Amino acid sequence: MGLINYNIEKYSPQQLVVIPLVLFVLSLVVIGQTFLATGMPVTPGIDFSGGTAVTIITTDNNDQLHATFAGYPLSEISDMNNGKFLKFGSMDDAKYQTLAQLISQKYPDAKIDQIGESFGKSLQSQAAIALVFSFIGMAIVVFLSFRTFVPSAAVVLSALADMAMTAAVMNIIGIPLSLGTTAALLMLIGYSVDSDILLTNRVLKRQGKLNDKLMGAFHTGMIMTSTTLAAVTALFVVSWFGSVQILMEISAVLLIGLVADVLNTWLTNVGILKWYILKGGAR
Amino acid sequence: MNQKELKALVTDWRVATLIVLVLISVIAIFPHFDENGNIATNLQYGLDLQHGAWIQLEMKGEVVGFTTDRQLDDFISNLSREADAEVILIDESHLEIRKSYTQEELSPIFASAGGAITSYNIGVSKATADDVKRILENKINAMGTKDAKVNTLTGLNNVARYVRVEMAGVDMKQAQEIVGKQGKFEIRVQTTGNETEHVVSGDSITSVQLPSQEPPGSDKWGVSFTLSEEGATAFQEAAIRYGATKDPENHYLQMILDNKTVYSAPLSDDLAVQLETQKIRQLYASTGAGKYGSNQASELEIHLRAGALPVDVSIAGSGGTSAPLGERYKMMAVLAGILALITVGFVIYYRYREPGIVLPMVMINASELLILLGFISLIRFQMDLPTIAGLVAVVGTGIDQLVIITDEILHEGKVPSPNLYLKRLTRALGIIIAAAATVVIAMVPLALMDLSTLKGFAIITILGVVVGVAVTRPAYGKVIMQILSK
Repeated sequence: MGLINYNIEKYSPQQLVVIPLVLFVLSLVVIGQTFLATGMPVTPGIDFSGGTAVTIITTDNNDQLHATFAGYPLSEISDMNNGKFLKFGSMDDAKYQTLAQLISQKYPDAKIDQIGESFGKSLQSQAAIALVFSFIGMAIVVFLSFRTFVPSAAVVLSALADMAMTAAVMNIIGIPLSLGTTAALLMLIGYSVDSDILLTNRVLKRQGKLNDKLMGAFHTGMIMTSTTLAAVTALFVVSWFGSVQILMEISAVLLIGLVADVLNTWLTNVGILKWYILKGGAR
Repeated sequence: MNQKELKALVTDWRVATLIVLVLISVIAIFPHFDENGNIATNLQYGLDLQHGAWIQLEMKGEVVGFTTDRQLDDFISNLSREADAEVILIDESHLEIRKSYTQEELSPIFASAGGAITSYNIGVSKATADDVKRILENKINAMGTKDAKVNTLTGLNNVARYVRVEMAGVDMKQAQEIVGKQGKFEIRVQTTGNETEHVVSGDSITSVQLPSQEPPGSDKWGVSFTLSEEGATAFQEAAIRYGATKDPENHYLQMILDNKTVYSAPLSDDLAVQLETQKIRQLYASTGAGKYGSNQASELEIHLRAGALPVDVSIAGSGGTSAPLGERYKMMAVLAGILALITVGFVIYYRYREPGIVLPMVMINASELLILLGFISLIRFQMDLPTIAGLVAVVGTGIDQLVIITDEILHEGKVPSPNLYLKRLTRALGIIIAAAATVVIAMVPLALMDLSTLKGFAIITILGVVVGVAVTRPAYGKVIMQILSK
């Protein structure tokens, strides 16, 4: 591919690994801070912490909305293409009923979702379990398919770095952890190792010069990532245009994850693999 | 490609399987014009893609592991009295308590009833959750709501804490009214011929017991229930006045729920004699012997409760989508799918610059999407927004794997010999299977857990990967060889 001129040959393993390593550590710091503040690696959204989310189609500005919902715990207003996305804190059932009534009167075209605090908590622990099990399962598959420690560990480490960087960016730009973004993270666990598996496979199981194999893998791998990027970008654009909050969040998380994946596959994973081969770890 | 080659290609089992699956899928999706001339399909939509409302209820109870050195029956009745709640034995070491208690509150109660707690989970047993589900379904069906779904969310420990009700075509307020509404229950007595008279209504029934055998251990089933003082008086008076005590066979008692007769039987001879002289509060409705009798008894228990749930519930969440917003989301979803296919096509074209490669790739990709949609229609799965995201991701990664195949085969020189071709294809499929396995394994926890709406998403993603590996990739391998060998 002519667009990207990336010469893996030029750099030593240490040079390759240094940038993602720094980013990885920074990500862990961001995640750690969030964890201390909220008890979760990414700030939990309404699905997990409880509350009410409302999508309305309106031209009212924020002041008007604050006035309309003065009696309610309105915590956040975000702009959408042609409407607003409102978040409310927890309230008791009677209060919620009056809110629902108010909304259906003023904005009949609304979408409302309300999650109770205890239900959110139970979802949250299940989501955490799902993420951990997914990751472990993925690691097992990787180790089973390569059966050599260093290359397998490199793939798993890249995936871990993907997750960490994605989580950190989510915190920084304010995408909450919801059921939808949990789904996106799980998808990333599965998909982010695609290109790592291709790379490792090419390098370990094919004959030829190391640098040729790396470059071949890079060509194929970049196309793979760019097709997925293209599909997800399409989703992001459409959901932004159509103000579909949950799709926007999912596709944003996937985009961040894919970019992190490029970094971690072609710097982290390549770096470790190159070091392993140069050390004489494989034929 | 001449006709003979084309014929050979289409009859290849890999390609043939793909074509057959695509045809079945189109039939399953069944695109057609509805009576208003709009395009309609068999696809089902979740509540974020169509007008509807959902309510999530929390069942107030707990499942408690216990030990006791007392007689089991004594212990349970002690416990029930101390806790002022229905207590039900699930298995030899677990009890269900149908009232909200924390573990701290329960410990002393267990101690004074002569036992100890070994485990504590909020929720109810699977059996009770199924009852709740059935009662809610009955209630919703009775209201004539066209499209409703009731799901209990059971955890890995077999304890169900939440039940989710989804109703299409209603708004949130209506949905809550339907779920909260009590059925209208009454007992009537046959007077002459088919005429009946009102005896007591549902509010005279103060408690309903679980189905039981009478005499115990006899395999003859029934349900006992208790009438209030006034109810018992009314029951006795009516039975005497209309002659049910003198001639039970011609004066059946009928139980009616929402204008439907749910039970009809004569007074037993014993009861008829007793009622002549005294009022009876504790009544027993027998339903027959064996499995049939036991099933009937469970049904009757539900009817006697008149739609009241066996446990208290509270609303743990609710929501709804308006019709215009649902329509708009649906349109956006279609748009996203089409746009994803087109952009992916452009990227592929940029890389290979060869319509002979790009066209089959995009078509195989689209066919994969079609097969998934066909399957979704067949299992009547309700598509929601996360599923759409999953489908778009399937488009993106599906192409990935076609790229792997193409690049492996094209590796070092354009036209591989059939032998070499097969070796390379096998190697490519090896990479793909490893990559696919990671996706499947990553989604398995989600597919097994009842994580609200995400279960379906996980199943669809897994399915997409499986269809890809089993059907579309091998077919693509065959097609691309045919094209490249020219």
